[in-house]
Amino acid sequence: MLTKELERAGLPTAHICALTPVAQMVGSNRIIPAASVLHPVGDPNRDPAAEKAFRRGIVERALRHLHD
Amino acid sequence: MRLQLDILNIKDVQFGDGTRITDGVLYINRQELQEFLKEDKRLSRVDIELAHPGEKCRIIQASDAAEPRAKTKGGVDFPGALGKQGPVGQGNTCVLRGTAVVASEYRREGDPPMQPGFPRHGRIIDMSGPGAELSIYGKTHNIVLVPWPANEISVQEYRIALKIAELKTAVYLAKAGKDLKPDEIEVYELPAPSKIEKGLEHLPKVAYIFQFIPGQFETIPGYPVLYGSNASSIVPTILHPNEILDGAMVTPYRTMAIDVFGLQNHSIIKELYQRHGKDLCFAGVIITVGHGDERENERAAIMSANLAKWVLGADGVILTKSGGGIPEVPLALTAQRCEDLGVRTSVAITHYPADVGDADGSILFNAPEVDAIVSLGTPWNPITLPPVDRIIGEPAAFPEGPPVDGPIETTLRWMKGVLSQTGNSRLIAVRY
Amino acid sequence: MDERSLESNREFKTHRSPVLSNSDNSILNGVRIHRKEENKMGGKTLRVVHYLNQFFGGIGGEDKAHAEPQIKIGPIGPGKAVQGAFGDQGKVVATIICGDNYFAERIEDATTEVMNLIKSQEPDVVIAGPAFDAGRYGIACGAVCKRAQSQLGIPAVTGMFVENPGVDLFRKDVYIIETESSARRMSDVISKMVNIACRLVAREKMGKPSFEGYFARGYLNNEVSDRIGAERVVSMLLAKLRGEPFQSEVPPPRYDRVKPASGLKDLHVATIALVTDGGLVPKGNPDRIQAREATRFGSYSFNDTDGLNPDDYEVNHVGYSPVFVLQDPHRLVPVDVMLDLEKEGVIGKLHKKFYSTAGAVCVVENIRTMGQAIAKELKDEGVSGVILTST
Repeated sequence: MLTKELERAGLPTAHICALTPVAQMVGSNRIIPAASVLHPVGDPNRDPAAEKAFRRGIVERALRHLHD
Repeated sequence: MRLQLDILNIKDVQFGDGTRITDGVLYINRQELQEFLKEDKRLSRVDIELAHPGEKCRIIQASDAAEPRAKTKGGVDFPGALGKQGPVGQGNTCVLRGTAVVASEYRREGDPPMQPGFPRHGRIIDMSGPGAELSIYGKTHNIVLVPWPANEISVQEYRIALKIAELKTAVYLAKAGKDLKPDEIEVYELPAPSKIEKGLEHLPKVAYIFQFIPGQFETIPGYPVLYGSNASSIVPTILHPNEILDGAMVTPYRTMAIDVFGLQNHSIIKELYQRHGKDLCFAGVIITVGHGDERENERAAIMSANLAKWVLGADGVILTKSGGGIPEVPLALTAQRCEDLGVRTSVAITHYPADVGDADGSILFNAPEVDAIVSLGTPWNPITLPPVDRIIGEPAAFPEGPPVDGPIETTLRWMKGVLSQTGNSRLIAVRY
Repeated sequence: MDERSLESNREFKTHRSPVLSNSDNSILNGVRIHRKEENKMGGKTLRVVHYLNQFFGGIGGEDKAHAEPQIKIGPIGPGKAVQGAFGDQGKVVATIICGDNYFAERIEDATTEVMNLIKSQEPDVVIAGPAFDAGRYGIACGAVCKRAQSQLGIPAVTGMFVENPGVDLFRKDVYIIETESSARRMSDVISKMVNIACRLVAREKMGKPSFEGYFARGYLNNEVSDRIGAERVVSMLLAKLRGEPFQSEVPPPRYDRVKPASGLKDLHVATIALVTDGGLVPKGNPDRIQAREATRFGSYSFNDTDGLNPDDYEVNHVGYSPVFVLQDPHRLVPVDVMLDLEKEGVIGKLHKKFYSTAGAVCVVENIRTMGQAIAKELKDEGVSGVILTST
């Protein structure tokens, strides 16, 4: 629901969210699935370098959604 | 699988020289039980108190409750959790009805609270007044354990020991009834789907999908949940309903409105049993787990739906959850996958919107096919509890807070035994 | 000895089909007339003021939609039905008429002007409309009723069709009787409106929305059913399987949609900010952001070389277990990766503060207010796009 107010004010917002059905239901427009509720842009099962690369992948996806 | 519950109706519980049941009264040798429980070196001390309906007594920090039950024939008590692995769900189990073992958690300074803003009194059971009227534990004779952790053990280790103490006590007490003639008998017998008795083919086949771990809370390693081990990553599977009723499943440390007592007396399973052969055919139970990420939830939803349709042959399923708002997402997904396969669904949930003035937030899903929703009430309704004469349990070592024996303004969320995710309560949340 | 098996010992309670209530666009049958013989108002005749638009007030049609607020003595048009419904218990002492466009073009001020006229009559009750499907009229009725309640402390009731925008805007604050889209069954609707008004004056407990005919106002209250939840859910499923009508105990939620802002033309020159509702805050939670039903948010600077140090942060959020985020806050707020992207020129700039609140058990109103405030701050600071991370 934060996304709607940000978008309403003219700020395109990419929403990285674990529970995408909720995001869809409340009306977020740019939704990117997160890794997990407990670590949206992380993965404790990977080693730190691999985890950072994984995180970057999700963030880059989010940025693509922000791009026109 | 045929399970017979041999039920003794207990009228009173008192401490005495030996643990036995005479004329409907359960006597407990307190010292013997304490020593038995202290064999677990994770505990430094175990206080045991009794609380009776009608007393001006308040149990605080109530973390879970279990009905005293012990296998007398054909099985093992809480398999895996209490050590021995073995079958459950058949044979005979002695039940001390009218009593409950309540575990009250001792929180040391510095132990993480379950969540921020946790009140000093934790979850409450009042034995008289408005709290007692609403709670099932206001009507049972409660044997309350207040185990203290040994100094060096972690809070997670303590929480496991706390649950084990509760289960051990439930068994210990019920063993006192093993040679006595039961006052009542309940029989639970359900053959495999392919062997359902003739004459029931025309009845609708109804299965139950039970999300027994919400997936929104951290798992404690080594916590005995399913046959004594953790189950947070399992894929959906089929259990015989008797396994749930007879101790194969134990609640994880953190759930909302479900206790071991509620599993032993699972209202939806009992309702399906009761109507089996009358207006439905009880097709079976699928257990599943909520997850924190979408892929896992999608996998669980598809697998649950397939089990319901293609293995149990269900025409309809009932679904419930065991947590707050987040688990409603996998719940709804599972229901949608069932509806996609033509298996009709109905759902029963407690509501966790922001507060009582936010009825629109009362469910976290909006799928048109999931249109049969039963309300199990909302925990945010306020309740005022009167002052009491006696407190059992230790208030959490947090700073401010009004005295726990005084009047308390709180909500149903902090009462134990009032709401029930297994449908045991008559509360229903109505929109105004 | 009592030996009963579960299959035979308990009586099977007869399943009762619940009454089907179609709340989409039809009025319920059974008009509830207030009981004239139970004069709970202590014998005093209520002073009623009625608000109407230009059309129902008899001034004219769309050509008169710019009419300024004016006051007339006694009931006019539908006001006569209002008078009839009140009977001896109330007197429509005045009617305020205002053009729909006049109101819609200056809602706050028009509300004040109308209120001044209403106040002059010292009313006990305000009745507005009903507005049926007319959007501007519905908004006017809702605004007038809401202000009458808050400013004069008196009951104010109106009526609208479900798709009237006034419903979503005002149903939490004002009792709105559900009507059809066209102005049929006017006296039916007015009876229900007057019934609600009388109950409010008498301080009686209000019945359920479906019974009294008003749109649910958003309050959840527990009541005690005659059957436990387990029985209800099995029965509901069987009704659904048999193709019988059933009434879900929980209606689906309503959420408004918003048109997305246009995307960024060029990421290389954009300033991106990170926002989270996962409750990540500096140790000690200096802004005291609540872990649930948050009304506050914070903005926190971070070091553009080191990013977020786990020792400096904590999580205040009741809806998830923060273990993994506490080990590495970047798992919630990806500052480290964003700093790299900034260095590499993929984005123009990373805003050097992240915004945080807790999205657990959130109140729509609060989230809305916070969202607006955060948006304003971000825009003032030159941010052009946002990545929001949620658990």
